[in-house]
Formats: sequence, C-alpha cells, structure tokens
Amino acid sequence: MDTLARIKDLAIKELALDPAKIDPNAPLADLGIDSLTFIEFMFKVEDEFGVKVSDEDLRSIKCLADLERHVAASAQAAGKA
Amino acid sequence: MTKGTAVQAGTAVQLRRVAVTGIGVVSALGNSLADFRSALASGRAAVRRLPEEVTRGSGVQVGALIDWDPAAHFKGNEAGSLDRVAQFALAAAGQAIAASGLDPEKTDRNRVGVYWGTGMGGANTLETAYSTVYGKNDFRLRPLTVVMAMNNAAGSNVAVRWGLRGPFANFSTACSSSAMAIGEATLAIRSGRADAVLAGGAEALLTPGMLAGWQSLRTLAPADAADPAASCKPFDKRRGGLVLGEGAAALMLEEEARARARGAPILAIITGYGNSCDAVHMSKPDRDGQVRAMTQALAESGLAPADIGYINAHGTATIVGDVIECEAIRAVFGDAAGRIPVSSTKSMHGHLLGGAGALEMAAALMPFGEGLIPPTANLVDIDPGCAVRHVPQKAERGDIPRAVMSNSFAFGGSNVVLIAERA
Repeated sequence: MDTLARIKDLAIKELALDPAKIDPNAPLADLGIDSLTFIEFMFKVEDEFGVKVSDEDLRSIKCLADLERHVAASAQAAGKA
Repeated sequence: MTKGTAVQAGTAVQLRRVAVTGIGVVSALGNSLADFRSALASGRAAVRRLPEEVTRGSGVQVGALIDWDPAAHFKGNEAGSLDRVAQFALAAAGQAIAASGLDPEKTDRNRVGVYWGTGMGGANTLETAYSTVYGKNDFRLRPLTVVMAMNNAAGSNVAVRWGLRGPFANFSTACSSSAMAIGEATLAIRSGRADAVLAGGAEALLTPGMLAGWQSLRTLAPADAADPAASCKPFDKRRGGLVLGEGAAALMLEEEARARARGAPILAIITGYGNSCDAVHMSKPDRDGQVRAMTQALAESGLAPADIGYINAHGTATIVGDVIECEAIRAVFGDAAGRIPVSSTKSMHGHLLGGAGALEMAAALMPFGEGLIPPTANLVDIDPGCAVRHVPQKAERGDIPRAVMSNSFAFGGSNVVLIAERA
C-alpha cells in the first residue's frame, strides 16, 4: 500500500473521516481537522511510519498530500523507504 | 430579608431563587439517577475487590470501581480524546440536561454557565504520561496530554459539548470541590450573573500511582474478609477507613421563575450554602469549622435546625472523622440531633472525593421524591462516639421532609454544607 493510502486509512480510522470525501489536496480545515486534532493525528502518523516530522515541517503541512510528501521524505532520510 | 437570600444585598436580586431541575449520575451503583437511587433504597454497596491491573503494588484492596464502556457513551474515537474523568462528566451532564428539559438550542447560552469540581482532574492521563517518562524513559507523549490532564478539562468539555457560554468555574478543594461548585453556582444565579448553571463534579483516580498515595496515608479501609462489599462502615465501631470510588454527578440549576415558566420539573430549591475553612490542619477534621459551615447554611436558608429532615453526612468511615462530624451535628442541632435521620451513602458508592458533594446531593434530595431516606450500609454496631439518629442498613420511608442538608468536609480544611428545600 502506498504512503498516501496508508495515511488515508489512518485518517479514516483515527479521525472518523468519510472515505468518499477525503480529498488529499483539500485544506485540513475543510476536512474538519483543527490544529489540535492534526497534531494528535501526526503523533499517530509518526508511530505508523516510524518517522519524526519536525515542528518546522509540521507548520508547512496544509493538506494530506503535503503530509504524504513529508512522511515519504522523512522515511527516505531515515533509510526506511 | 427575603428567606433564602439573606446574604444578598440590593433589592433587584433578592427574589431570585435557585431550583434543581435535572440530575445526572455516573457511579458504581448505576449510571442513571434512577439506578443510583434504586441501589441506595436497597442498601446495596458497589464496593468490591479491585482488579490487579488497577491496584498493582499499591496494597489497596477495595474500591467502588465503575464498569465503564466508553463505546456505550461516545461515538467513534471521541472517547480517546477524553480522560476518564471527562467521560464521566459528559455522561452525567448529558443526563442532567435531558432530565431538565432545557434545550440549549432554544436558550440564551450566554446566560448558562458551568461550575464544576474535581480533586485530581485527568489523573489517568497524567499517570500514563509519568509512567511513560519515568517508567520507559520515553519523553514522546501524546499531544493531547495537557488538555486531557488539566484540572478544568472535565468542566470545559461539558461547556464545549453544549455551547454553554456563561460563567465558568472549576473548583478543586479535594472532597468539597463539587459541593462548592453547586454552592457557588447558586450564588451566581441568585446574583444575576447567570440564569442557569450546570453544576457538579467528577473524579476518576483509581490508578496505581494515586492508590499508592492514598494507601500511604493509612486512611483506607481494608477489605472486609467475609464480604468485600461491606468494607466501608461509617459510624460503626468496626470501621477501618474510607473506600475510594469514582464517577460524576451533575445538577441543572436554574433561576426558579424561569424554570417554572418553561414548565421544568422543580426537584428542589437550594436555599443554604455554608463555606468555611478549618485553618488548623491539612487532614485532621475540625469540629468548629464544620459547625461554622452548617450554621452558615442554616442561617442563609432561614430555617430552624428542626426544619432539616435528613442529613447526608460526609461520613467517610475514618476513625476520627466520623466522631468529629457527629459532634459537630450535635453542637449545631442540639436536641433536634436526636430526631434528624443521618446517613452516609459513601458506604455504598464509595468516596468520590471531588465528585462526592454533587453525587451526595443527588442522594440527599432522594427523600423529596417518595420520602425515602437512604441508609448507611454496613452500620451494625454503632460507635457511641457517633451518637446521632442513624439510618442503619435499611432505607426508611417517612413524610417528605421540608429540607435536607448535605455535608462535604475536605482535606485542606474546606467545609461546604448545602441545604435544599422541597419545591
């Protein structure tokens, strides 16, 4: 399963998002994800992928597609890709 | 002065009386007011041996633990973002609002507040965090740790859930926390700061670390060898200390005229709130401090001691505490002390600490229903030092009293006494 699909699955499970309505390029707020919820979600994402996303990178993530790019980059940097 | 508003100055607020219009309960005796009162009526205690995963090496043997299934109360992953104490609070608050018939959508929610009480707040979250840091040397904690553990989280979650935007307060005075929340909420409504306040309290600290702390105080009762449910024995010669419980209770308090205008059920009127501090010792109770709180509550209500028809005692079943409280009751009530039924329902639901005052108010108001007075379970051999008019083991049915009193006396010397009158 590719990274985005895994992130989507996690979002469906942890955030109770409607699978039919997850647009990876939609702003997080449009998916009903507020800042606190997102930080809690990132904690789960880091567990799931065994990566650490920096505070700086975190601030630049505006949608799930951004998140995928950061996770993939972090995993690659850690030699896990 | 107008009865019940003796402490108020100014004519504009003197006629505002505070009605109880709905009650919600989460307790080991049941997760509804009806189940709670049914258990009290039958004198059934919910105290039991604590499972190993809860007590661990603490040495604590018994408690009033709730069999709690978050999935029965919360959708999806919502419960995962709420400490157990906030889950209890939301469940109790929801019941109280529903029972009151108050529809937040059709109410000016800027005029509806939340006054809450809890001793240790999100104790489970805090303990999980500490065990991760100190036990595993892992400093990576859940991002929600702070907002789940903070002491005001339970009350704040209640406010957020129903959009109650009026005055908010969170009281943390150990065992008097939620009684103080009810008392202060009463003042807020009387003074005109709010038209309604959801007031109550919650506690959920049956965790290995918290239990170890309590155990080292040497104030907890050991398990009754023959019957663990009978471990808490207030006022009995054989009493061996208190038994910790957990849960929540919430009361919807409303300005009486507004409540009547919308046809709300009027369960009781809160007319007396006494609040004093012993100011002598951190844990040893003080008779005079308790006397001051009871006297103040009576004076504020304008009632004579003999008007009180039931006292729900603090009655923790500690060796010293029960004697002091009975001395205080005798000092305040004089001859009437021999006639007024006194019981400690902690014998059945355990000590809810920050949630105790609210839960025991739910018990204290019980006689206004059918004149049924809840008993002190496990009271067999009355300690002569605890000479008051007891209600041992079995509930008593009598006339509906004019007024009831509920006592909450806390570590730190905080004493809160509430008086409610029948509607």
